[in-house]
Amino acid sequence: MKRHPISSSAVFWAVILVLAAWPLGTAHPQLVCRVFTMAFLYAVVAMAWNLTALSGLISLGHAAYFGLGAYGAALMDHYGSGHLAATLTAGALSAGLYGALCAAVFRNLRGATFALVTLAAVEIPKVIADNWESVTYGSLGLVGIRPLPLVRLGSVAIDFGTSLTAQYYALLLLLFAGTWIHGKAIHSRWGWALRAVREDEQAAGVLGVPVHLLRWTVMTLSALLTGLCGGLYAHLHGFVEPPVVFSAHLSAIPLVLSILGGRFRWFGPALGALVLYPLDQLVLHPVLPAGHAAVYGLVIVGSVLFFPKGLGSWKK
Amino acid sequence: MWAQFLIGVLSLGFFYTLTALGFSLIFGVTHAFNLAHGELIVLSGYLAYGLMKAYGWTFWMTLPLCMLLLTGVLVAMHQVLKKVGEPFELNSLVMTFGMALIAQNVMLFFFSADYRLIPSSEAAVFSPFGRASVTETHLWTFGLSSAATAAVFLMLHHTFLGKALRATIQEREAARLAGIHVDRMKGVAFAIGGMLIGLAGPLFGRLAYLHPAGGLEATLIAIVITIFAGVGHIRSLLLGACILAALESGAALVLGTNWRELVSALILIVLLLWKPHGLLVGKRSAPEL
Repeated sequence: MKRHPISSSAVFWAVILVLAAWPLGTAHPQLVCRVFTMAFLYAVVAMAWNLTALSGLISLGHAAYFGLGAYGAALMDHYGSGHLAATLTAGALSAGLYGALCAAVFRNLRGATFALVTLAAVEIPKVIADNWESVTYGSLGLVGIRPLPLVRLGSVAIDFGTSLTAQYYALLLLLFAGTWIHGKAIHSRWGWALRAVREDEQAAGVLGVPVHLLRWTVMTLSALLTGLCGGLYAHLHGFVEPPVVFSAHLSAIPLVLSILGGRFRWFGPALGALVLYPLDQLVLHPVLPAGHAAVYGLVIVGSVLFFPKGLGSWKK
Repeated sequence: MWAQFLIGVLSLGFFYTLTALGFSLIFGVTHAFNLAHGELIVLSGYLAYGLMKAYGWTFWMTLPLCMLLLTGVLVAMHQVLKKVGEPFELNSLVMTFGMALIAQNVMLFFFSADYRLIPSSEAAVFSPFGRASVTETHLWTFGLSSAATAAVFLMLHHTFLGKALRATIQEREAARLAGIHVDRMKGVAFAIGGMLIGLAGPLFGRLAYLHPAGGLEATLIAIVITIFAGVGHIRSLLLGACILAALESGAALVLGTNWRELVSALILIVLLLWKPHGLLVGKRSAPEL
């Protein structure tokens, strides 16, 4: 890092600046704006996933938290208050509670066993959402979730519901917040404790790191953040249904993006999201309408084989 | 009623044994979790469906071709997995998860997301115990699964190759010292696993609807049974598969078919909590990240 003055984090900042300036400067197609909005959302999910991964646990079941967040927000919107703060809180809390429960129950599992257990844990909320028809409308899904609200700042009214540019900037802000938390999980005292737990649990315990508490907190935080993104997804799309929000694809996305971008860099997962998701949606989707998502699988296989440390480690 | 339930459970149990057998063999010999297992079974099912639909083949004609092709796929997969670095168990898990995604999208591309079923007659071939009926599908499932299981059992216990495979499962280093080509055994395990997957696919297409995302359930079932039985114990596999089939059918009967998926997931969680290192009991614990 020190020998090369232009580090890859500088490249990341440049990308962010371009992304922030781009919708203002030029006329832009709505589709591209929308795709980048979703890329920001998935970047935050990827960083939330990576919080768990940084403590040494690979989860194959973040779709559970995402789906619970989406359903929590949708159900709150349908039955309770439609206020954005209420729905997002409901979404984040329902995911966070499930995450806290999982973290407590699975506290002794590591490595491959943990990955398998999380894979199975997705089925529980999924089957419940699919079958509790009197509340969740089963496999039909919930439709008509209110879009994001109109916000008045003095005399300026910003309509987050219809203006794609407004959504773009809102999600960009969320991306900054997520990146900040993710950066803290790497470069802070807390981050060093996480690293110690990842490398050697016993030694970390001897040094006075509260291993179980730390793991529990980080998994709950990860679930909360993922649930928040799920809630936003419900508002952005206006409908949720079990096969979509609990799909294995959603468990794979954060894993792919993080592994591609580099799991051990603060900007890694976000970089992966900003590269791969637009590539998939803007380049591959028009060519291959069915089956374009195979690229995620190919990226997993390729990254594990050829550059296990991710794109972020290419340029030291 | 009860006789019908028993017939269903037995045929499903034998099918689950077939499903778990390939997974268990591959895991035992190579320590690779094949998360693409279910997807490959569904792929083989689609293959049989396509052949029957497009060329008018009868059911049994598709079996050899499916087995051959899936063996090829699994051998290719082995070549890729060989290059994975440490920690092998976790990396192979992530890797095969990626392969499962690829397989899902390949199926989506060729067969679209519609639900498909290999057509079979519902007429009873014969009816024991009065009103219970044994259909053609029951017979195919029961016959093919038990034949394949018996063949693998005889191969493992009465041939030299089987002895080498069992030695590799039990203690890899000692097997290597005794002059067994462990890498060749891994290839053999993948090839046999491929044959079993190829055989299970067309049966899966008759028993349940084929859907590109439908493989996860089969994978979970294979993992549950393998963890329950341990690796390389075919009789325990059969027992575990029948218990799981009975539990699932019971849950479907009491709660309704949609809750059935929950059963295998819950059993998997409970089993893993009970035996956190359960897969390689008595050996070194699973490598950690």
